Amino acid sequence: MGTSVEESRLTPAPASRPGPNFPGPFAVGTYARKLQGWMRERARVQLIGEVTGVGRSKVQAYFELRDSEGAVPCAIWLNDLEKAGLDGASLRDGAEVVISGGLDYYPGGGQASPNFCFRATHVRLAGEGDLIARLEALRKQMRAEGLFELQKQLHRPALPKAIGVVTAERGAARRDLLAGLERRGWGGSLIWGFAPVQDRHAAPAIGRALQDLAARPEVEAIVVTRGGGSLADLWAFCDETLCRTVAMLRVPVISAVGHERDSTLIDDVAAVTCSTPTHAAEAAVPLDCLAARDSLERCALALRRAGEGAVETRSRHLGALARGPARALQRERGKLNQKIREIRAASERGLADRATSQRRIGTLVLERARRRAAGADMEKRRDALHRAAVALRAHEPERTLERGYALVEGDGGEPLTSAAEAGAAERISLRFSDGRVRARPEQRDEA
Amino acid sequence: MDESEQDQSSATKPDSYEAAVERLEEIIDRLDSGQAGLRETLDLCKEGKELVTYCAGELDEVGEGLKELRLDDLATKLDTASEVG
Repeated sequence: MGTSVEESRLTPAPASRPGPNFPGPFAVGTYARKLQGWMRERARVQLIGEVTGVGRSKVQAYFELRDSEGAVPCAIWLNDLEKAGLDGASLRDGAEVVISGGLDYYPGGGQASPNFCFRATHVRLAGEGDLIARLEALRKQMRAEGLFELQKQLHRPALPKAIGVVTAERGAARRDLLAGLERRGWGGSLIWGFAPVQDRHAAPAIGRALQDLAARPEVEAIVVTRGGGSLADLWAFCDETLCRTVAMLRVPVISAVGHERDSTLIDDVAAVTCSTPTHAAEAAVPLDCLAARDSLERCALALRRAGEGAVETRSRHLGALARGPARALQRERGKLNQKIREIRAASERGLADRATSQRRIGTLVLERARRRAAGADMEKRRDALHRAAVALRAHEPERTLERGYALVEGDGGEPLTSAAEAGAAERISLRFSDGRVRARPEQRDEA
Repeated sequence: MDESEQDQSSATKPDSYEAAVERLEEIIDRLDSGQAGLRETLDLCKEGKELVTYCAGELDEVGEGLKELRLDDLATKLDTASEVG
């Protein structure tokens, strides 16, 4: 552009003037027209961003198109706007649009101020496809920077005492979150950080609320929630600056934005993503306080039983040990008595058996003797026996008496074998073989 | 672990509710196993009761009803306090 503008120089600069050694000076109007031409030769492109500061003149509408990185002033002729099928209500602050056109410069005039803008020749509301493509680009970039992992590494307490919540003051999400916390039996401190959730002010306001809540030392978790909507409605939650803020917070953020099918960038950077505010309540307070109380009572009971049981069991054992010696003695005594009974019975059985055995042996011996006696020498033995009987009989007193002798007996029948005895007796008896004669001794002759 | 060490550990406040519950479950498991001797059982029961008391206190702190506060109000109070100070 420098060389073409240089041609518009009207008068050469005095050589003697001090200052930078730049070309010129040039007449500004000519420079402005050249600048306009140069800008209009730039490539025609499409831009996507959020509309802010919409204004209108009789012939054109002007606005800024911006995102978190920067902004460009834009203008569109009203007839081009009509051709695009957009009415005044559609081109509003906060709308995500795609504009087509290129750079333009109005050089101004005697009364009019110069103006630079992106001259849009066509405009349309950004569709899901546009937003998704932009979202994916942001997602890819932030994932590569590791921003999705930071929140997920934070510790989430099971039983926070204070929870921060960022949501719309009059949204249904607020009611659902309260109901969810009530079902959990949680009654801690809930700090509301109310913020708009759907316009160009939403993302910065949500970011501020999050930072303020995270700065409070008592806050242990933060819930960000709003109801469902189109991706354009939820676009504030895809704001790059907001999501970078969330990633860097020291407090875990629980995201419950939109419905289950909606996926925003804040879901990616948050510690936990939930499909509904009710689920967000459960994620913010992982512990079911009602169930925890029941569980704690069971633990207390188990501990009491264990303590009492341990002492009781051991005292019973000790008691049993203390009674043990007496029982052992009694047991041993019983065993001993039993043994004695068994020994006695065995002894009696043994004696009887032995007697039986001896009788049997005696019988056998006698039988054997009888058999021997009944053998060949039996006659001889009988004769000897007879002779012995005869000899024995010959010595019987009766045999002597038969030969004429008499036996002197005392009064009691006792034999008197001497004259002295007979003489001393008062009465005597003379025994003959055929009878007795009583007598009284008259005189005693000395031998 | 000697007695003094055990007394010291049982007197230590748990880091968090979940840490207390985790230790409590360990204690109950050990007691249920029936392998703990009398001294260990009594020590575990004592530690367990302290943990139950701690957990009950934590639950009590969030059991008195939801307290709703507004961040704006807290910020205003903070500003007022700093101005007075």
